[in-house]
Amino acid sequence: MESKYILETEHVSKSFGELEVLKDINLQVEKGEVICIIGPSGAGKSTYLRSLNQLEKITSGKIFIKGNLFLHREKNRTVEKISAEKRRGLLLEMGMCFQRFNLFPHKTALENVMIAPITVKKEKKEAVRREALELLDRVGLADKVDQYPSRLSGGQQQRVAIARALAMKPEIMLFDEPTSALDPELVGDVLQVMKDLAQDGMTMLCVTHEMGFAREVADRVLFMADGIIAEEGTPDEIFLNPQNPRTQSFLKSILNP
Amino acid sequence: MEVLKRIIDIRHWQHRTKIVVGVIFCVLAAAGILAILNPDRQALMKELSPEMQQLIAKDEGRSRKRVTVTYNNLAVISYCSCSSSGAEEMSERLVGFAGAVYHADSGVAKLVGQMANYTYRMLGCGENILHGAKLTIFLTVLTVIFGVILGMFLALGKMSKRRIINRLSSAYIFFFRGTPLLIQLFVVYFTIPGVFGFAWRNLFDTSSTEAVYQGAFVASLIAFSLNSAAYCAEIIRAALQSIDKGQSEAAKALGMSYAQTMGKIIIPQSISRMIPPICNEFIMVLKDVSLVFAISLMDITTVSKNIMTSEGSYLVFIPALVIYLIITAFFTCIYNALEKKFSVYE
Ligand SMILES: Nc1ncnc2c1ncn2[C@@H]1O[C@H](COP(=O)(O)OP(=O)(O)OP(=O)(O)O)[C@@H](O)[C@H]1O
Ligand SMILES: [Mg+2]
Repeated sequence: MESKYILETEHVSKSFGELEVLKDINLQVEKGEVICIIGPSGAGKSTYLRSLNQLEKITSGKIFIKGNLFLHREKNRTVEKISAEKRRGLLLEMGMCFQRFNLFPHKTALENVMIAPITVKKEKKEAVRREALELLDRVGLADKVDQYPSRLSGGQQQRVAIARALAMKPEIMLFDEPTSALDPELVGDVLQVMKDLAQDGMTMLCVTHEMGFAREVADRVLFMADGIIAEEGTPDEIFLNPQNPRTQSFLKSILNP
Repeated sequence: MEVLKRIIDIRHWQHRTKIVVGVIFCVLAAAGILAILNPDRQALMKELSPEMQQLIAKDEGRSRKRVTVTYNNLAVISYCSCSSSGAEEMSERLVGFAGAVYHADSGVAKLVGQMANYTYRMLGCGENILHGAKLTIFLTVLTVIFGVILGMFLALGKMSKRRIINRLSSAYIFFFRGTPLLIQLFVVYFTIPGVFGFAWRNLFDTSSTEAVYQGAFVASLIAFSLNSAAYCAEIIRAALQSIDKGQSEAAKALGMSYAQTMGKIIIPQSISRMIPPICNEFIMVLKDVSLVFAISLMDITTVSKNIMTSEGSYLVFIPALVIYLIITAFFTCIYNALEKKFSVYE
């Protein structure tokens, strides 16, 4: 099934018990698009990203990847069963980077990057190793390949995490506040890697508080509040001329704290 | 004064590998020298009284010996006792130590000789592996190995979202932690063969007198392993759950299956956290194993109890305690080394 969109969500809702965190979210993402998601704390930004790769089970809604149905749930039940093999294949189209990196501390930087292609895709070790070294070089860590994560700075760890996700050759990258656990002087390196990725045509969904990054790199900015997409538009539309009063007050608070 | 304090503070030792290594080295060196100097059997026998020597010489041709000679060599010290029965009742004891031979029929030498003899028997020297300290260590090590393996499955079962697996694991753990180990041992050793109509010793060559011990060994290994698994399960579960949730999320996001996530990510990280409590469990098992006295396996405890009843020697329990302490100290050292090895990346 061919589709114009690489990722689509229809009526995605999610509740934690009584608490409705996502309310009927619809989004269509084109290949190569860079989308930044901004919004106040508790808006459901992380929950939305995590729902996309099934770290959270959505209550209801449909998710399509490259035009294929990936998940369809209603009333907290999966209604259309998708074969495990197909589901895993579609899941691998998405790579994710976490706020707290979540590198595997018992593996070196290189091993972190190599482990998934070897265990999940059963690829040959030598080839994986070559690609992993290339990826680490691309994120500027060619000299740190044999270090354990505990010996790396936060910025370096996040770049290893990006390389680890890229090693699975995903078509879409999900970033959940990749720089907000970092010291300010380390943020730049990580953002540079993300900019390079965007330039290379990667489809990206970034939850971020880096407004500069969003303005420069994003094709589209979503403002989320209370579980809905309250406003969306180009960076210029959102940052220079926000329509929704919530967007206005959020931007005011974040730009002139 | 400071030095003395430091040496007495045993817990301090664990952090002072140099001191420990130094002490161990000195002890081993001293033991080596003493072992070289130690008089052998012949040297000891030469010191026997002429009458006793005559008796032994006369005995040589006979098929039924009048004189019982025991010779115990503990490397650094050796002990020999000869006693004859019948008309010419006599008994003599000798202790060989540091190149000299002492008569041990009274006083300190007698006490030292007895202790050497008891230690020899409690260590199970000159016997097969199902005797004395060898049995205790063998049974403990096997129990903990099986306990950890089975405990791993129980821990995963108890963490499982499948209700039936979860319930079964919980029930198992509840049962084995909630009933006395001694009765569990009796059930495995007596009840199960009774109900199913077999005998543990029949698993082995029953023409040998060892078959009874071998059967009892298997039964106690099963009972202790099943019991230890319940405790290990809780230890392992706590260690697995102490690993940050982000780890399994990262693994999932990379497409790893549950088994891959557990096997490659979660379990390897939790091993260094399991080692201290498993070491503790090991020490508990080491002491629990003394319960085999109830089914007549000849471990350290049973041997000491037998010596107490047959020879009325109330002092036998002191070397028994020392043997247990040495075994504990030895394994604690091993575990400390393991813990260091498995936490290199932290
Ligand atoms: N596992 C959970 N159980 C219950 N409630 C949760 C859980 N995870 C998130 N929530 C709630 O869902 C809401 C949205 O959380 P979410 O983490 O998606 O917000 P966010 O927009 O990412 O905020 P932030 O900017 O602080 O990261 C919050 O109110 C949070 O308390
Ligand atoms: Mg968040």
